[in-house]
Amino acid sequence: MSEFVYLYRGGEERTSSPQEMQQIMQRWVDWLQGLAGQGHIKDKGNPLERGGKIVRGRQKTVSDGPFAEAKDLVGGYTLVEAKDIDQAAELSKGCPIFDAGGYVEVRPVMKM
Amino acid sequence: MNAFLFLYRPPEGPPLTPQQMAEVMPVWMAWMKSLDERGHLKHAGNPLARSGKIVRGKPQTVSDGPFAEAKDLINGYTLIQASDLAQAAELAKGCPMLDGGGSVEVRAIAPM
Repeated sequence: MSEFVYLYRGGEERTSSPQEMQQIMQRWVDWLQGLAGQGHIKDKGNPLERGGKIVRGRQKTVSDGPFAEAKDLVGGYTLVEAKDIDQAAELSKGCPIFDAGGYVEVRPVMKM
Repeated sequence: MNAFLFLYRPPEGPPLTPQQMAEVMPVWMAWMKSLDERGHLKHAGNPLARSGKIVRGKPQTVSDGPFAEAKDLINGYTLIQASDLAQAAELAKGCPMLDGGGSVEVRAIAPM
């Protein structure tokens, strides 16, 4: 088994009602539990707040960010285990982010 | 203390050669150790390979990286503990990637 990171990108801003948000959250919990039950979750990771800071370059300037377009904004991550990247990509297809118009970037963890 | 994620973005241009990688590795290790000793390292995270898959749409399609915007490429992450976003950004200033012209995106972990 090899390790891969899912970067969840884009998706609608959460202007849903508290009840809808709870339903969306439940879909994520169910999906991650399903992957965990099949032994594919190494670290379920974390959802991220939308705001943040960017620290850049030799001058180490700090600015408000992130600056990625909303469609590419990273909204969270998960560390998974799969036999290869094709399986990792296949496993991501159950992710609730597709219902919100977002996408999943699947990246191999570099072996050190 | 609150949890924050560092997302590392390398400078634009070709990836590091194995020799350059070998040179910067000890600098990264020293920085991680210093964060850890000050009680700010929650999880060292992982470096990511410059390849991957993008899974998008419904029904989902899988395509290969590289990614449309090379400047948006994330090549690693670390989970940090800090009192607030400003302190987390201050801690990010020690990241060795900044000296090469890269950047660190600092994001708060969303409460569940």
